[in-house]
Amino acid sequence: MNTTDASVCPYPAGDSSIRRMAIEAAELGFDSIVAIGGEHGAAGEFRILTGAVIDARSAKDVLRQVRNVSRNVDLTFVNAGDLAFNRAAVTTGDVQIIRHIHTTHRNSFDHVAARSATERGVAVDISLYPIVHWRGARRQKALQRYADLLSLHRRYRFPLTISSNARSILDQRSVRDVEQLCALFGMTRQEVRTALGTVHRILEHKQPVRVIG
Amino acid sequence: MRPRPPAMRPKWRYILARILPNNVELDQKQVYLSVLDAATSLWGDAATGLMQPAVIHCDRGYVIIRCRRGSERDLATALATVTSAADRPIAIRTIATSGTIRTLRRQMRPELPDEEAEELRVGKKYFTAYRYSRQKVDLIEKHNKHPKVLFFTETDMEEI
Repeated sequence: MNTTDASVCPYPAGDSSIRRMAIEAAELGFDSIVAIGGEHGAAGEFRILTGAVIDARSAKDVLRQVRNVSRNVDLTFVNAGDLAFNRAAVTTGDVQIIRHIHTTHRNSFDHVAARSATERGVAVDISLYPIVHWRGARRQKALQRYADLLSLHRRYRFPLTISSNARSILDQRSVRDVEQLCALFGMTRQEVRTALGTVHRILEHKQPVRVIG
Repeated sequence: MRPRPPAMRPKWRYILARILPNNVELDQKQVYLSVLDAATSLWGDAATGLMQPAVIHCDRGYVIIRCRRGSERDLATALATVTSAADRPIAIRTIATSGTIRTLRRQMRPELPDEEAEELRVGKKYFTAYRYSRQKVDLIEKHNKHPKVLFFTETDMEEI
């Protein structure tokens, strides 16, 4: 499980069932996907993980919602907000990934939040949806935000994840396409490969220590 | 008019890509316009002009796009940002890049429906179901100007 699409939204949120998305993801070079609001599953080597998104306005609200969702899912996402919110969110336990950074203000994720994310092992999600679907100034701003995020990542080494946020199989992209799309804001192939394996590392971290041999 | 000497002719690269969904019918011009729109939006007029993209084959879910040598990677990136053609949602998935069309034609394996189309009712809506290999089932809404398409599997169909 080293190449994971960090979030897809299957039927009924989208037009494709989770099983169909899993088939397509396997054909596109992924070995696991995280389904937001979906169910666990596996098809051979392919794994379907579950995720829940917390959309809150305050850190207190995040804490309250985390208690309800984190037991039932593999990964807990938080939609990013302003600077104070993001700083608080990365220090909240049981939150694994902050997403939708591209929708927030330019300075909403700064070096302090980056350092906290590194210490806590909280990942920041890069969504390919705005790069694929948006056009013009909106896409330019998203690319700028991702480039800024990448420079912080290179300095502070907090984990990154990459997601298609696909609501349909038509939104899913191959690993090679992901590399090329991420190259638009300066991400190298090696960085993309590492980011695609972040979900695996987060989940390994959650499991107890195993004695091998 | 005498043809240019070989050393002065432009060097081309050809990109083979698949068009999804399988049942969408598009002609060369419609695909060309969507590719050009995506490339222009991503790289701008100047860079797209230098790429000289052209759709030279479009049939049974496959498309071959020609571009200048050296620009194939940029064009492939632009293809990943294509989301619609002729007001229908599509995706273009790059399969291979080559210097000859012949090599690409060998890699074309059209995905045809397994059986005859079947009519189904899901909730209050009527759909036509097309079954493909690997348990894929595409449901296309009937009696609608802009039909909704659902992408399911055989297992999902049993659960409905």
